[in-house]
Amino acid sequence: MTATALTAARAGLVSCETCALLSRPVEAAEPGHCRRCGGKLEWRRHHSIQYTWALVVAAAICYIPANVLPVLNTTTLGSTDSDTIMGGVALLYNTGSWPLALVVLIASVMVPLGKLIALSYLLVSVQRGSIRNNHDRTRLYRLVEFIGRWSMLDVFVDTFTVALIQLQPLMSVEPGAGVLFFAAVVVLTMIAAESFDPRLIWDSGAIRRFDD
Amino acid sequence: MTEDTDRLNVPRATVVPRRRARISVVWVIPILAAVVALGIAVQRILSEGPTITIVFKIAEGVEAGKTVIKYKDVNIGRITAVRLSDDSSKVEVTAKIDKSAAGLIVEDAKFWVVEPRVTLSGISGLGTLLSGNYIGFEVGKSTKKERKFTALEVAPIITSGMPGRQFVLKAPDLGSLGVGSPIYYRRLQAGQVIAYDLTSDGKSVDLKIFVNTPYDRYVNPGTRFWNASGLDVSIGAGGVEVRTESLVALIAGGIAFDTPPFAARPEPAAANTTWTLHRDRAIAMKQPDSISTRYVLYFNESLRGLSAGAPVTLLGLPAGEVVDVGLDFDPKTFGVRGRVEIVSYPERLIARMDAATQAAERETFARSVQARHAFLRNMVEQRGLRAQLRSGSLITGQLYVAFDYFPDAPKTKVDWSGDVAILPVVPSTITDIEAKLTGIVAKLDKLPYETIGADLTKVLAGVSVTLQDASKAVNRIDTDVTPELKTTLQAASLALGTVDGMLKNEVNTTLDELRRALATADGVLKSTDAALLGKDAPGQQELRDALHEVTRAARSLRGLTDFLERHPESLIWGKNGVKQ
Repeated sequence: MTATALTAARAGLVSCETCALLSRPVEAAEPGHCRRCGGKLEWRRHHSIQYTWALVVAAAICYIPANVLPVLNTTTLGSTDSDTIMGGVALLYNTGSWPLALVVLIASVMVPLGKLIALSYLLVSVQRGSIRNNHDRTRLYRLVEFIGRWSMLDVFVDTFTVALIQLQPLMSVEPGAGVLFFAAVVVLTMIAAESFDPRLIWDSGAIRRFDD
Repeated sequence: MTEDTDRLNVPRATVVPRRRARISVVWVIPILAAVVALGIAVQRILSEGPTITIVFKIAEGVEAGKTVIKYKDVNIGRITAVRLSDDSSKVEVTAKIDKSAAGLIVEDAKFWVVEPRVTLSGISGLGTLLSGNYIGFEVGKSTKKERKFTALEVAPIITSGMPGRQFVLKAPDLGSLGVGSPIYYRRLQAGQVIAYDLTSDGKSVDLKIFVNTPYDRYVNPGTRFWNASGLDVSIGAGGVEVRTESLVALIAGGIAFDTPPFAARPEPAAANTTWTLHRDRAIAMKQPDSISTRYVLYFNESLRGLSAGAPVTLLGLPAGEVVDVGLDFDPKTFGVRGRVEIVSYPERLIARMDAATQAAERETFARSVQARHAFLRNMVEQRGLRAQLRSGSLITGQLYVAFDYFPDAPKTKVDWSGDVAILPVVPSTITDIEAKLTGIVAKLDKLPYETIGADLTKVLAGVSVTLQDASKAVNRIDTDVTPELKTTLQAASLALGTVDGMLKNEVNTTLDELRRALATADGVLKSTDAALLGKDAPGQQELRDALHEVTRAARSLRGLTDFLERHPESLIWGKNGVKQ
């Protein structure tokens, strides 16, 4: 694609976000509603970049306690062990089940971090009006959006373990504060991915005026 | 209209589109996240207590990240690292103490490893079997903070929070006591031995004991402590008495205390007061004899079995004891005699008096030597009070000194010449018996055994002669008496023959008569036979007639049956009917 590619916005048209019907807006400031599905028409998602930035920053902040604080407190015969995510990975690796350690490492540490980096990259590139690698960036966005739903795996495992292992006098498992932050990271990155308007990737720097 | 032109020259206002706020509300989310995360971080940092180092000789079961430090069973910290000291001789343990307990970490705080302990007096630390060893902590009294500690090797027994007081006992040796040995008051466990140490001169052992509240208020300056270890078996006239404080004390040793009834009961003793640890209850509870008088006795007999500590009795009741036994040279007679020094406790004589008299008498005894001398002189010279050795036990041969009245004893006086009065003695009855036995033996010795032997031989010879005479007499009987006996027997035989002849005739005639009688009886029987069974006997005839009659009857019966066989209807219709 070349930088001179025509976008709907540049042609004075707006596409419905719900059913993708291309329509002529009522007026530039207020594009009106979609004739087919009745959805509200917008040139670009309102404050998309700012929203996404805010959520990404929030997720990045939460990512630190999610990894520092313990996610699981295991009490076995009176002695309590607290495990962080990385601690769990190390434990799994040390006990010989390195494939499992790898799965946990990818799903719980690398994926959230990767999402944050990917979103930041998309935001920076859009803000700078970059027109390079538009296809790859769109693909990256799709990947981030797709992977979001699988990131809660860790939280699910944690909650299941807590619910199932309650052998009160012998052993009990309690969730740690870390799992809350971890869930926050996942949810925030999912919302961030959702609030990012991928159409911005295709707009050049001139289109900035639509996004305020 | 200058006014109008002026107005036209005024620049027209422009409409500026209302700009939306550039900063969106969504930034609240990252700010909130940052605040929460920062809040947690700040709380973490603030709750961070001091990090301390504890040096252990052996840190058994102490693991980094797992082992906790507990005070009153509450976690106050956690071990973060365990490593060897630089010279590898000790173990350095780093621990993070909770902020809340930071104030407890002072100079004289104590740390030790709590592990399961099984001793005779109890089992402790069982919980650590499941949870693993932990580090015990005991708060100190100091206010100065300290970050480096040396751990105790064994857990302290008494915690600072325990109410009670500490005392010191002085014992000649440790015996079977040890740290943790129980202390009993009226057989209730009232405390423990917490430490022991040899005194600096090395001649005795100082035992530190801790008596718990409320028992500590029964410890006063008059209290006696004694070693309650083992069994105290005493055999007396009342039977066998076995005393022990408890089974634990029997095995593990223990100390008991009590205040004797005669001791004054002032305020409870101050902490760290020192007492002597007595060997047993009897010694501990013995009444102290404040007034004691020494006397000397000289015996001219064996003192074997008499030792220091042997009782001195007055009228069979204890009144003192022997303090010294030894040999003494008598310059007057150049003889050697036994010198026994005794001590008497005159207080015991007045123990049963009422308090006022007792006090007065005690005063008299203590102060007035004159009164005492007069009393003793009276006893010895008028009543005949004498000392005598007696056997306490026939088996062991233990002796004791008994004072008794011997009115028949030769008159003598108390010798006041020396600094210790010499009391008169009488020889013991034991030696009396011995002397008598010896006399008997001597008399037996004097018996003329040889003469007796010779006489006996003579007597035996006489007996032998007598026996020979007897033999001769028997022989004479044999030769003289036997022929006569034979003739007598022959005469007797003749007499019997005569008797035989006479009897034979008589019997024969009797038999003949009997035979005749029998023949007569036979005849009678024969005639009877003829009457009954003869051909013409009337009985026979009648019998024959009767038989004829029977035959006839049988014949007519046969005719009847024949007829009936042919004409059975005749039974119904009769003979006439048959004919028709």
